Amino acid sequence: MRLVTALAWRNLWRQRRRSLVTAGAVALVVLFSVMYFGLGGAMENSMYQRLTETGGHVQVRTPGWRDAASLDDTLIDDAAEVRATVQRIASERLAAPEVVGVLDVPALLSGDVRSRAVPVHGQDWPTAVRERRLGGSELEGRFLENPGEIVLGASLARALDVGLGDDVFVYAPGGRGFGAAAYALVGIADLADPSAEIATAWTTLEEAQALAAPDAVQRFEIHGTSLVRIEDDTVAAALAAALSEALPELESLTWLEVEPSMSVLLDSLDPMMYVVSVMFFVLAGLLVLNTVYLSVMERIREFGVIHALGAGDRRVLGMIATESVLLCLMGAVVGTAGGLVFVAAYRDGLVVPGLEAYYASFGLDPVFYVSVEPAQVAFAILFAVVTALAAALWPAWLASRLEPVEAMRFQA
Amino acid sequence: MALYSVRDLRKTYRLGDVQTHALRGVDLDIERGEFTAIAGPSGSGKSTLLHLMGALDHPDGGEVVLAGDRIDRLGRRQAARLRLAHLGFVFQAYNLIPVLSALENAAFVLELRGVARKEREERARNALDALGMSGFEDRMPNQLSGGQQQRVAVARALAADPDIILADEPTANLDSTTGHQLIELMRELNEERGVTFVFSTHDQRLLDHVRRIVRLEDGRVAGEDAPAAA
Repeated sequence: MRLVTALAWRNLWRQRRRSLVTAGAVALVVLFSVMYFGLGGAMENSMYQRLTETGGHVQVRTPGWRDAASLDDTLIDDAAEVRATVQRIASERLAAPEVVGVLDVPALLSGDVRSRAVPVHGQDWPTAVRERRLGGSELEGRFLENPGEIVLGASLARALDVGLGDDVFVYAPGGRGFGAAAYALVGIADLADPSAEIATAWTTLEEAQALAAPDAVQRFEIHGTSLVRIEDDTVAAALAAALSEALPELESLTWLEVEPSMSVLLDSLDPMMYVVSVMFFVLAGLLVLNTVYLSVMERIREFGVIHALGAGDRRVLGMIATESVLLCLMGAVVGTAGGLVFVAAYRDGLVVPGLEAYYASFGLDPVFYVSVEPAQVAFAILFAVVTALAAALWPAWLASRLEPVEAMRFQA
Repeated sequence: MALYSVRDLRKTYRLGDVQTHALRGVDLDIERGEFTAIAGPSGSGKSTLLHLMGALDHPDGGEVVLAGDRIDRLGRRQAARLRLAHLGFVFQAYNLIPVLSALENAAFVLELRGVARKEREERARNALDALGMSGFEDRMPNQLSGGQQQRVAVARALAADPDIILADEPTANLDSTTGHQLIELMRELNEERGVTFVFSTHDQRLLDHVRRIVRLEDGRVAGEDAPAAA
């Protein structure tokens, strides 16, 4: 260790309690920052899961689907052929991908006495996709097993005044299929999200196709069922690009491109977290400034001697900056370690009691998958150093400008 | 050519309306290898003279020439470089850095100069040894007596091998025996190693073995002595 570094380190312990309090404050700020980033990451993961559970990681659609005036304009007619291509390309880039054909049919659903306009959602229901979709929900009855069956959201079932075993009549005029069907209600899903529940009418892809568009789908969703955290998802964009190349007549979109509003929200999360974190550091910086300033004022004579012995202004600046950086790094190491322990402990899921229902009401997973990016940890440590340097600047400048003779005569 | 040449050096301190003339035109030459005491009562200007010779302060008039170069008008950076490269200081209150051991204190100036660790430790150890401080290398200043601390301070100046060591009342905080021993050590270093010493004192008893004594009174050189015993 260089002598000036040893000098800085030992100087920290001349006022042990004060240094420990300050380093503790820095540690807390770094800890809070890492935890905050971890919980922010969990929120991103929740949104990511919500979006990818309902829409897959990549979608293949017809161009202009957002502004389509009719069901016909949204249909991919040669569905079997497109499915084969999608399956092949997805298998090259994802482990065990599920390719799900989806057809949403605008329809009027009726029980014996009541009716409601709700799209009938027909899709393939591979086990992994079904389980993710139903995760956290309660299903009264059972899921779809046989032709001619339907599952409704609980509030929709109540609105139609139907129960398990009742017939649900569906009218979907204007399509290419039968336009009408009667389904047996086999399951009632109690979803946490009431807005989703009132619009939930699930059947199989085949039933929806028979109703409105034989052999056609509206979209293919590619579900990477092993992708749980947003940072694991490094393939969606590449997969979408590969699909665009293979299927130029169709539009291939990542989950973020499908929901641009969510993209804006996710993009704003990181800057927001950094801004809040910087505010934490500013507060810690004031404490560090106070500590370094007091430390300099108590050692005016000593700095006078150091100047007299030939230390230049920059050298004195460096000595004080080194002390401040060591003080903050000490806190940063402890805080980072604590933060990483927190993240590691809850990486596989954290349920905050009391928040479950609140989160579920937004359709978000009530389980937080806490995660931080290395860049965020690096930011916390780097900002501790920046805080140290910024806090040391003024006291260090004061000490560096001392006149040796006056400083050596200084009486506190 | 004299190592130091001081001409008509003047310094006035101002505190509000009160002016104190610390130096009123001092002329002095110091040759390389000299062992010189600046003697005089308190307030005679000894410390001010040493500060100006050490480029620690600026005079109001006159000049200080060290090895042919004027040093009385140097800027902060140049003055610091000069002190680091050519001058050694010993202060009345020892002024060791309290968190550094005796060895580290003795090596501190070498550290400032950027000397590699092995070399600076060796030189610091040799300097401590020359001052009879072997075995005390790891002691912290608060574990040393006043005399020992001042020896470490001399070792700090000596280790950097300066052109001259300026000592401002180095014995003022020591008892007379310890003070005498320190002056003797400095004289031995002067004789054996040729180190140039200029030190100030107001203690007449320490001057018996000094070759050259410059007496200051009221900011002027009042005369020079060369004791018979020297």
